Amino acid sequence: MKSKESIFKNKLTWAVIAELLILAVAGILEPSFFSIEYNQTTGMLYGSLVDIVNRSAEITIIAMGMTMVIALGGTDISVGALVAVAGAFALKFLRWDVTLYPTPGDYTVYPFILVIVVPLVICTLMGLFNGVLIGKFKLQPIIATLILMVAGRGIAQIATNGKQFTTGYTPYRFIGQGSMFALPFPIIITIVVCACVMIFVRKTAFGTFVESVGVNPNASRVTGLKSDRIIMIVYTLTGFLSGIAGLIYSSRISSCDSNNAGVNYEMDAILAVVLGGTSMTGGKFSLTGTIIGSLIIRTITTLVYYFGITSESIMAFKAAIILVVIVIQSEPFGKWLATRNARKQKAGELRG
Amino acid sequence: MDKKRSNKLVNFVTNPKYIMVLATIGIFLAIYLFGAIIYGDKGFTKLRTFAMLFVDNAYIGISAVGMTMVLITGGIDLSVAAVASLTGMFIAYGTTVLGIDPIVCMVFSIVVGVALGLGMGALVTYLKIPPFVATLTGMFLARGVCSLISRDSISIDNELIDKMAGWKMYFMTLKDGEWVKIKPVAYVNLSVLMFIVMIIIGTYILQKTRFGRNVYAIGGNEQSARLMGLPVDRTKMMVYGFNGFCSALAGIAYALYVKSGWNLALQGGELDVISAAVIGGVLLSGGVGYMIGTFFGVLLKAVIPCLITFNGTLSSWWGKIITGALVLLFVALQQIVMHGNLFKKKKGNPAVKKE
Repeated sequence: MKSKESIFKNKLTWAVIAELLILAVAGILEPSFFSIEYNQTTGMLYGSLVDIVNRSAEITIIAMGMTMVIALGGTDISVGALVAVAGAFALKFLRWDVTLYPTPGDYTVYPFILVIVVPLVICTLMGLFNGVLIGKFKLQPIIATLILMVAGRGIAQIATNGKQFTTGYTPYRFIGQGSMFALPFPIIITIVVCACVMIFVRKTAFGTFVESVGVNPNASRVTGLKSDRIIMIVYTLTGFLSGIAGLIYSSRISSCDSNNAGVNYEMDAILAVVLGGTSMTGGKFSLTGTIIGSLIIRTITTLVYYFGITSESIMAFKAAIILVVIVIQSEPFGKWLATRNARKQKAGELRG
Repeated sequence: MDKKRSNKLVNFVTNPKYIMVLATIGIFLAIYLFGAIIYGDKGFTKLRTFAMLFVDNAYIGISAVGMTMVLITGGIDLSVAAVASLTGMFIAYGTTVLGIDPIVCMVFSIVVGVALGLGMGALVTYLKIPPFVATLTGMFLARGVCSLISRDSISIDNELIDKMAGWKMYFMTLKDGEWVKIKPVAYVNLSVLMFIVMIIIGTYILQKTRFGRNVYAIGGNEQSARLMGLPVDRTKMMVYGFNGFCSALAGIAYALYVKSGWNLALQGGELDVISAAVIGGVLLSGGVGYMIGTFFGVLLKAVIPCLITFNGTLSSWWGKIITGALVLLFVALQQIVMHGNLFKKKKGNPAVKKE
C-alpha cells in the first residue's frame, strides 16, 4: 500500500491537483463551465470541457514524443515548423493545380490516402534527420533541431509557393472538425495515438531504455544498449507525431498557413512535459503526466479567455507557472526542502 | 626564416581555436565575391550595399555580442528577442502614449533588461535550472508583459527619437578639394555605431580582462573552474546580466530602425541571433568562440537575403533554408574540428606532444 507521503511526493499527483484547482476556479467564476450539451444535428458533444480536450490535441500528441526527447536529456524545437510542413504538403496535394481548381471546394487532385501519407512521411523523415544528427553525429539537440526549425518553415513556404491554400474537401476536414462517438475527431486521434505510444513505450522495454540513455548514455552503451539508435527512434517518432498534429491543425482551419501554423508549439509541448513532472535533466518520464500537463495549459488558456485577457498575454501567466514548477523541480530547492523536513522531524522526535 | 614563417601560418590556420572563425570569414568573402561577380553590374559591390548590410542587421549584431558570451559559458538565452521587443514597447508606449522623455524610457528599459538577465542568471546559477528552460521562462514573461502593455503596434512619435533614428554618418569622398557624399549615398546610423562599439567592447572583455578568461574557463569546464577557485557563480550572473543589457540595447536599435513598438516584433529573432553566433564559430558546448567570429557570422547571415534580393526571382524563403544549411555546415565543421582526428595527428601540436 502506498503511504500518504509517497503519494504527495509523486509529481503526477501535484499535476492532477493543479488541474483540479484550476478547474475549480473556472467553475466558481463561470458556473456554466462544466455544462456539456449534446447537439442532435451534428451528433457532437459541446461544452468547455470537451473544447479543452479537443483543442489540446495537437500539443498532447507532440508532447508524447517530446516527453521522451526530454527524458533523453534533449529538446526538439523543430516541432512547430514540422506542423507547418505537414499542413503545407497536405494542402499542396489537395490542390496541386490552381488553374484547374480556382476556388476551394469539395475535391482533391490526388487520392486522399496520398494527402495523408505524404506529409506524414516527410515529417517522419525530418524527424529522422534530427535523430541522425543527434544520435549519430552527436550534435547538441538544440542546435540540431534549430536547423529544421529555421529551414522547415522555408520548405513549407516553398511547397505552397508562399500562398495560403484553403480546402473544402470533406474527408480532409473531417480530421479536425468531424466527430466520432459523439466526440470531436481530434480527441479520438489523441486517444489512439496516446494509447499506441504508451503501449509501445511501457509494454516493451523501450521506455526503460530511454530512461537509461537519458541518465547516462555512456553507461547505457557499455551495458549493450544501442543508445544512438534509441535516440534516432525517439526523434523520428517525434517528427511523425508532429506530422499528425500538423494535419489536425491544418484540417481544423481548412487551410495551411506556413507562417503561423505551429508557432510556439515547441514551447507549449516542452511546458506540458515539464508540468507533467518529467525533469528537464533527463531520466525518468511520465507520459500520463504529460497528458495532464497539456490539459493544464489548455485549461489555463481557456480560463484566461474568460477573464477577457488577450491571447498573447497568456505567455505571462505561462511564465509564472513554469517559474513555480521549475523552482520546485530544481535540485537546490529539493535539497533545501529535504533538510528542512529532516530538521522538523528531528525537532518532533526531540519533543516526543 | 621563410619556412619558419610559413610554418607559423600553417599552425595558425590549422589551429582548432581559430579555424572556425577563419572558415566564417572565408565563406563570407567567398559569398561576397560570388555576389560581386554575378551581380557586380547591378551594384552589389557598391559601398551602399555593404553599408546596408550593417544598417539592416545592427540590432541582431548587438544582441549577438551578449549571446556570444552566454554561449561561451556553455549556456543559451532564448529571451533576447522578447526582451528587445519589450524594450521597443517601453520606448513606444512611454514616449508616445505617456509622453515620458525618451532617454528615461531607454534607461528604464536597459535597467529592466539587466534585471531580467540577472533574474534568469540566478535561476541558472543558483537553482541549477537548465539555461534553456530558465530563459524560455524569461521569454514568455517578456512577451507576456509586452502584450499586457499593448496588443497593437504603436508607432513612435517623438522628436528626439526621430532625430536619433534619422542621424546618419555619410561616407564622403574628396572631389576637387571638397568633401562630397559618395554616389550612391552610403551611410551608417547610430545602431551601426552601437554594434561596432559593442563588438569592440566585447572583444576587449573576452580577450583582455580577467573576467573574459573566467568566461572561457567556465565554458571549458565549469567543475574545473570552480575547483581552481574562479568566481564561477558571480561570472555567470554577470554574463547573463550583460546579455540582458545587450538585448535591451538591441531593442533600442530596433526601435530606432522601425520606429515603432509591437508585442510580436522580432518573433523568432532569438534564433537569428543564436544562428549568427553559431555560424560565427561559437561552440554551443561552451569554451570556444570569438567576437570577431560573431561579427562575421552576422554579416554572413545578412549577405544571404541580400543576394536573394539581387537575384530577384528566388523566393525569399530560400534565405531561411540556406541559413539552416549554413548552420548545419558549421555545426558539422565544429564536430570535425573538436572531435574528429583531422588535426590531432599534426606533429607540431604541443597538446598532442604532451600525451
